[in-house]
Amino acid sequence: MNSILLLEDLPEIRAWLKVMVKQVFPNAQVHEAARVHDALELVSAVKFNLALVDLGLPDGSGVDVVAALRESQPEAQSVVVTIHDDDDHLFPALQAGAFGYLLKEQARDLIAEQLKRMAQGEPPLSPSIARRVISHFASQTRPQERPQNMPHVALTDRENEVLLRVAKGFTLPEIGVQLSLSRHTIADYVKQIYRKLNVSSRAEAALEAQRLGLFRR
Amino acid sequence: MLERLTATASPATTTATAIAAAASGGSRWFGALLLFAAMLLTGLPAAAEPMLLIRGALATNATSERFVPGTAVVPVQLPDDWAVTRPGYEGSVWYRTGFDRPPGTDPHELLALYIERACSNVEVYLNGHRIFSGGRMSEPVTRNCHYPQLVTLPAALLQERGNLLDLQVQGHALARVASRQRAGGLSALEIGPQAVLAAAYEQRLFWNVTSVQVVGVVLAVLGLVTLALGWANRGESYLMHFGWLALGWALMSARLWWRDLPWDTGVMESLFCVGFAPVAGLAVQFLLSYAGLRMRRIEIALAVQWVLVPATLLLAGPNHLFLMASGWYVLLMAEFFAAVGLYLRETWHSRRDDFWPMLMLLIALAFAALVELGVQHGVLGLPHIQMLQFAAPLIFIGVAVRLLQMFAHALHAAEAGRTTLEVRVREAAAEIERNFTLLAELRVEQVTEKERKRIAGDLHDDLGAKLLTIVHTSESERISTLAREALEEMRLSVRGLTGRPMRLADALADWRAETVLRLGQANIEADWRGPVEETEQLLPARGFVQTTRILREAVSNIIKHSGASHCKVRCAISDRQFGLTIQDNGKGIPMELDGKLDRGHGMSSMKHRAKQMQGQCLVESGPGYGTVIRLTLPL
Repeated sequence: MNSILLLEDLPEIRAWLKVMVKQVFPNAQVHEAARVHDALELVSAVKFNLALVDLGLPDGSGVDVVAALRESQPEAQSVVVTIHDDDDHLFPALQAGAFGYLLKEQARDLIAEQLKRMAQGEPPLSPSIARRVISHFASQTRPQERPQNMPHVALTDRENEVLLRVAKGFTLPEIGVQLSLSRHTIADYVKQIYRKLNVSSRAEAALEAQRLGLFRR
Repeated sequence: MLERLTATASPATTTATAIAAAASGGSRWFGALLLFAAMLLTGLPAAAEPMLLIRGALATNATSERFVPGTAVVPVQLPDDWAVTRPGYEGSVWYRTGFDRPPGTDPHELLALYIERACSNVEVYLNGHRIFSGGRMSEPVTRNCHYPQLVTLPAALLQERGNLLDLQVQGHALARVASRQRAGGLSALEIGPQAVLAAAYEQRLFWNVTSVQVVGVVLAVLGLVTLALGWANRGESYLMHFGWLALGWALMSARLWWRDLPWDTGVMESLFCVGFAPVAGLAVQFLLSYAGLRMRRIEIALAVQWVLVPATLLLAGPNHLFLMASGWYVLLMAEFFAAVGLYLRETWHSRRDDFWPMLMLLIALAFAALVELGVQHGVLGLPHIQMLQFAAPLIFIGVAVRLLQMFAHALHAAEAGRTTLEVRVREAAAEIERNFTLLAELRVEQVTEKERKRIAGDLHDDLGAKLLTIVHTSESERISTLAREALEEMRLSVRGLTGRPMRLADALADWRAETVLRLGQANIEADWRGPVEETEQLLPARGFVQTTRILREAVSNIIKHSGASHCKVRCAISDRQFGLTIQDNGKGIPMELDGKLDRGHGMSSMKHRAKQMQGQCLVESGPGYGTVIRLTLPL
């Protein structure tokens, strides 16, 4: 981790986060931004490995930055850092390509631990997020309505199995035990689920845009 | 020269059976009318009294004030039809005949002279005394052609033998009238008891005049009713046509009974003849519009005809009136029957119900019209009953009754339709109201939801940000913990504000994930068992939030204070309630001096929250026994 984007409008919190990030990744260079506009400029200029993005910002939503980063730098990992813990805020960010989220009020050690895990490819997945992912894939547009250039994104049986168990309230280590899978394999499944969520969400968004275009014509 | 005969036969009965036969098989309503007519016919004269029938007389064309015997006097047969005996003659004819008192009559019996027809007018002299006048003898001559005359013979003037009877008849040449019925002439004369002849006279008067008047009035009333209906329903133009037709016919029938007209005969005859053009035109229009076949060209042609009829009559002059009138009658009838043909053809295709009754009616009418045509052209003798005058209005009345019946049907249908419509409108109104209520509720819900979200957003942005700053900048661990807890509280409160009801199964999943994760991070073994089968029961947002707090508090207590190594959580869901039991194997909650459980462990706030949800929270604990928290909430 040598280049990290830190988008946060509150100066105290930004400073606090920076300390925390430096603690986890001592060698990283941290680029700070307080507004969506500034962050987007940085994204187009600098190559990042990791981005910590606040959602509610004075000039817009951090989701746009997550999406821009996903578009131009697919290798970069976005993590949402927010005060909102509800799905209405988190799910769009995950759809846009975020690989996890941190709640701002958590203690520094705890948050650092979570960040480290995420950076190692173990994104968190709560039951409510899992339920939303399930219903997202269930309600996905039927194949005949999908534009030809759009890839069909479907979850594998194993991924579905993991999602269903998370939705029932089992933790990822528990599921690993139940399915006789290693911690890493489970983490890979979850990462894959996040990726597919992002891809299918973008396909859906494109289709939606096309549909609106059709209506407008 | 004088003949004595006794009248015996009644010729009218045969005609009546003919009409009845022509109409048999027609529809019920027309049949009823005919039955009525037949009942009227059954009482015609069949006299057996001794009576004198005078079939001959001396006649002279003279305008003198008295019968003047001389060279111009010729014997004539009665009835004397001027068109045959003195064609073209116009003016006054004197007739002289003689009679003895009929044998077998009571000397005190009052005698009378019955003249079936004297056209246009007659004056009667008995033994040189004028005893009767039918009206004006000079132009405009009183029109008595259709009226029978009954002249009482004054006993004082009457001799037992050799009575002289003079009659002056004022009449018109056939060529100068529009109808053979109104050409000059004198029927046979009858002398007999006044009472017997009065009956014959009255019957004749009834059939020739009164029936025409009654039918005319009925027709006029029907016409007015139909006109009113037509006025109210402009779309049904045939109603208007029929109304005017009935009125027109009623007006035209006045020529049969209206005796004293303001203009002389030639003018009146022409006017009546002219009047037939619009009546026939209306009949054609009615049939066409009734069949739904209105044609602009035909309408124009009919209108032109209105003008053409008077024009040709004027051009031809008064001496060719009968010729022109007969020609026009034939033409108008041809038009009418052409319209009938069109109408019947159309009805056959579209309204089969109407076809047969209308066919019967029109056949009867055609029969009457043909008889009338025969009379006018001298093929048939002058009839005792005016077939066309009697049959046509009856048929009109039949048609009018049919129209009214149809109208009543339509009205009924419209009424039924209106009722159905009303019911539908009521249903639709109720539906709209229901939808509106739903929509209003939905709107209220949406607005409330939006407002909740706004408040939640504000709380997060403002209060949340400040608490967060305190969490991360405070030097004191206690203060940052308090601020963190406050933030969590705020978040739960906001979720209570914004949240929709949640599936209980989902809530359990959330609680399980959080509890197991937290206990696991604290190295406490978690053993969570919930119901195996999925339930679809819902938990209100507040219930979820409060339960989350209670559970979180309980788990915090276990992590912070109990020193337990194991925690058992059990969930049970029934129809009415659900229960949550959290049991640890820790050291339990120490008792206060007053025997109550330690307030620092937040037990009272847990109980308070449970009470808010109409549930209860029981805590059992003792030193060394661990702690059991039993939460029960109604669903």
